[in-house]
Amino acid sequence: MNQTVLILNGPGLGDLSGYDSNFFGKMTLEGLSAECQALCDDLGIGLDFRQTDNRDEMFHWIAEDSEEFDGVIINPAGHSPAMIEMAESYRSAIKTIATHKKPIIEVHITNIYRHSEEATQPLHEPAGDMGFICGVGKRGYLLAIRAIAHKLKIPATV
Amino acid sequence: MTKTVHVINGPNLNLLGIREPDVYGHETLNDIENRCRVVGSNCGLDVKFLQSNYEGQIIDWIQEAISCVDAIVINAAAYTHTSVAIHDALRSYNGYIVELHISNPHLRESFRHTSYVSPVADAIVAGLGTIGYELVLPIVSEVLETRGQLQQSDELDGDGLN
Repeated sequence: MNQTVLILNGPGLGDLSGYDSNFFGKMTLEGLSAECQALCDDLGIGLDFRQTDNRDEMFHWIAEDSEEFDGVIINPAGHSPAMIEMAESYRSAIKTIATHKKPIIEVHITNIYRHSEEATQPLHEPAGDMGFICGVGKRGYLLAIRAIAHKLKIPATV
Repeated sequence: MTKTVHVINGPNLNLLGIREPDVYGHETLNDIENRCRVVGSNCGLDVKFLQSNYEGQIIDWIQEAISCVDAIVINAAAYTHTSVAIHDALRSYNGYIVELHISNPHLRESFRHTSYVSPVADAIVAGLGTIGYELVLPIVSEVLETRGQLQQSDELDGDGLN
């Protein structure tokens, strides 16, 4: 049976027009989802690509739904105050995934360290194995998929 | 046209494959370099690996890269968390910069949670294991291509042709 990857996009990521620039190119969540799907098809991986503005739903996906997948990619949309408020629960859910040795990667579209001081820091959870990618736009998602495929020992075809 | 990428590796990375293989993997830096050369040549990149345990040497390499190397992938290792001098050198470099780590420093000891490289890097890739080096190269290639196109169109704008 095919291995499967869950990609979760947090609050605010339904509208990517704020990222429009010459460098990142025009992006929509639908377009991003389609590119991820195309790569997963090439690699023979099943994909479930989701976005929510509801922090409880996001948490449920991370804590519960992720169990059914072989790898997880999360863009927590760190700048959303909603995600900061629930950072502790979020970290604990991530830790559970990592403890099960499931590959998990945090992705941000921009380099979050180039933003203001208030910018969200990534997870500081001293357990498990979690990747971190930021600053390469939509390519970050594709890179994360390839990295997870490698960890799942799926041969690269592209 | 072939673009050049210097992959600069900091202290202790010469011990890769020997030191703490459960954290860093069993491959040597040489193994990684060989794979990266193949991946690089497949996507139009001339990849050169450098490694030093000396902060000053790393700074010299960054300075030498100014205006003749298209991108730097830097794994500054422990200097990531200590070196303002490497931060300054990278700030004066105008090419594309990727900060790379084999493990994810944010998941390790708190003294590794601050990076002086991150604020001057364009992109960060961490915690993917040694495969991170070769996975990032096609992205570097794409980015350099996009940048080249943008620069060309800027030049056209400057000539009043647009």
